[in-house]
Amino acid sequence: MSDMDAETTIVGADVDEMPDDAVEKELGIGFWVCIGWLATIGLVALLAPWLPVTSDGAQGGPREAPSMSHWFGTDANGRSVFDLTILGARTSLAVGLFAIIFGMVVGGSLGIVAGYFKGKVDAVIGFIFFSLLSFPQLVLALLIVNAFDQVSLFTVAITLGILAVAPVGRLARAATLVFAEREFVLAAKVIGAKHFRIIIRELLPNVLIPMAALGLLGMGVAIVAEGGLAFLGLSVDGGESWGITINDGRQSRDLQENPWVAMFPIGVMFLTILSLNFAGDRVREYFDVRETAF
Amino acid sequence: MRQLILQRLALLILVMFAVTIATFASINLSDTPLKNFIAAGAELDTNGHCDAIRAGEMDDTQQLGQNVGDCEYIDRIKAENNLDDDIFTRYGSWLGDIASGDLGTSTTSRLEVSSILKDRLPITIRLVVMTQIIAIGVAVPWGLAAAYRANRGFDRVSTFASFGLLSIPNFALAVILLYIFGIRLQWFPTRYSNNGWYDELKSLFIPAITLGVGLSATYQRLLRTDLITTLQDDFVHMARAKGMPDRHIMYRHALRPSMFSLVTVFGVNTGALLGGTLVIETIFSIPGVGRELVEAVIRTDPPVVMAFVAVIAAGFVIINFLVDLLYGWLDPRVRSS
Repeated sequence: MSDMDAETTIVGADVDEMPDDAVEKELGIGFWVCIGWLATIGLVALLAPWLPVTSDGAQGGPREAPSMSHWFGTDANGRSVFDLTILGARTSLAVGLFAIIFGMVVGGSLGIVAGYFKGKVDAVIGFIFFSLLSFPQLVLALLIVNAFDQVSLFTVAITLGILAVAPVGRLARAATLVFAEREFVLAAKVIGAKHFRIIIRELLPNVLIPMAALGLLGMGVAIVAEGGLAFLGLSVDGGESWGITINDGRQSRDLQENPWVAMFPIGVMFLTILSLNFAGDRVREYFDVRETAF
Repeated sequence: MRQLILQRLALLILVMFAVTIATFASINLSDTPLKNFIAAGAELDTNGHCDAIRAGEMDDTQQLGQNVGDCEYIDRIKAENNLDDDIFTRYGSWLGDIASGDLGTSTTSRLEVSSILKDRLPITIRLVVMTQIIAIGVAVPWGLAAAYRANRGFDRVSTFASFGLLSIPNFALAVILLYIFGIRLQWFPTRYSNNGWYDELKSLFIPAITLGVGLSATYQRLLRTDLITTLQDDFVHMARAKGMPDRHIMYRHALRPSMFSLVTVFGVNTGALLGGTLVIETIFSIPGVGRELVEAVIRTDPPVVMAFVAVIAAGFVIINFLVDLLYGWLDPRVRSS
């Protein structure tokens, strides 16, 4: 899990600090391999309704080992694990993407406002972030999910989105604090630009870069959190997600007789999280964002 | 220093308020809070039939979806949780009770929440302690070995490995370890059992490894970074120049001043783990705090949910507070700012 301890976040964008022997930075081959994997998974998830995949039980016998007709085998209900993994990718990725976008929009705006106006506004927003971070991640998720009447794709996504608000917001706040002191912002102030304009035109484009780097990492965190909720029996009712399939496959008899039900989705999930983490880390290094809040 | 403590203490109190309000609101902020309090299966008194039954105007034969048992149950839940009061009064009395040590009564098992907590907490604490011992036990030698020849062969491989470890969700690692050591090799039991301390230790081993391995990667990276910085200090060069063996320098000279961030993150994670064991406890059927919380949510037992979340969050906040103080004590620069 991530450590929630985000003391200071420093965005190093100081041009004068550029080392003389600055090597031209590259994202590297590993980054593109990761992006390739993510793009593939994303595309397959997006196209799943038009692909011959189904979560019906009538596709094969129960507990068939992986074979040419069922690459990942079938589960206790005769459902193809390969199909479930593809359908699960839809939920997992959608939830992850929504969560981090929610976190960026809500947390990002709050963070920028806090960092720009400082003073009392900052104190109040900072306190909200601090309080949100006072709950262990899954405990907060449990509390929010519990407050909804039923668990749907939307409520899970909102829950994970709320979890992302504080870490993203803290990063946005710290980045804004740095940029708000820079000459171009002061110049805009001097020529009488309105607060709104300064925030949108001057600060937002600069703060977005570190936030984007965090976005990839944060999406991984959200996907894992969805899996955690699924293990607690609190993810999308009757839906498919990686967490739900893995949770089905870990029941003792399944794990003993057909471990592939859990292991294949675990593999796919691991590669996806690894790709998100690696790509996020590369982007962070590329743009020289020194610390993250996740 | 005193001012810092007072400031932090004020923040701590404010945060405790915020946390309890959020916890309480998540369950009570509803137009029919009663619905969040009664177990699935029992009918809400939507038609006001309970009043009629109570007044003797209706009996069981005319029940219309409401029976006397449910009415008694609803009355009891209402009375126990003051559901007829407005939300502010209820929050006040709940907080007052919690603060005076009365955590309430479970709506389903009729047990005192404090006695449930007393049963569950020690198990979670034992799991957290084992986890931390494993994590530190792995991370310290690993960090030393990686920093000793930074950016060389072993360090490269270990950076890669820690990256991989940090990318495995802990429930996935749990399933993999459960499969290998619990089912294939059968070295360890697949679920919690408690016939004596050795048996319990053995059954907590895989869960602790699962949680500890990911943590050790985090710790290792921190320790490695700090060690690399320390190893460039003058006193290390001095020790080298005097001809001290490398091993001695690493253990005796460099390790201690490099433990700084490790200690901080160790503390923060101890707090996070108290509430972070939900999934692992569920997988291995460990009757700890996390599993009880999850079960209370599923069986609709708000007094347990509220009290457990409040206790977990309080523990988390208080540990962070102590870590903050420790930080100030360890690093003189924080004291003055």
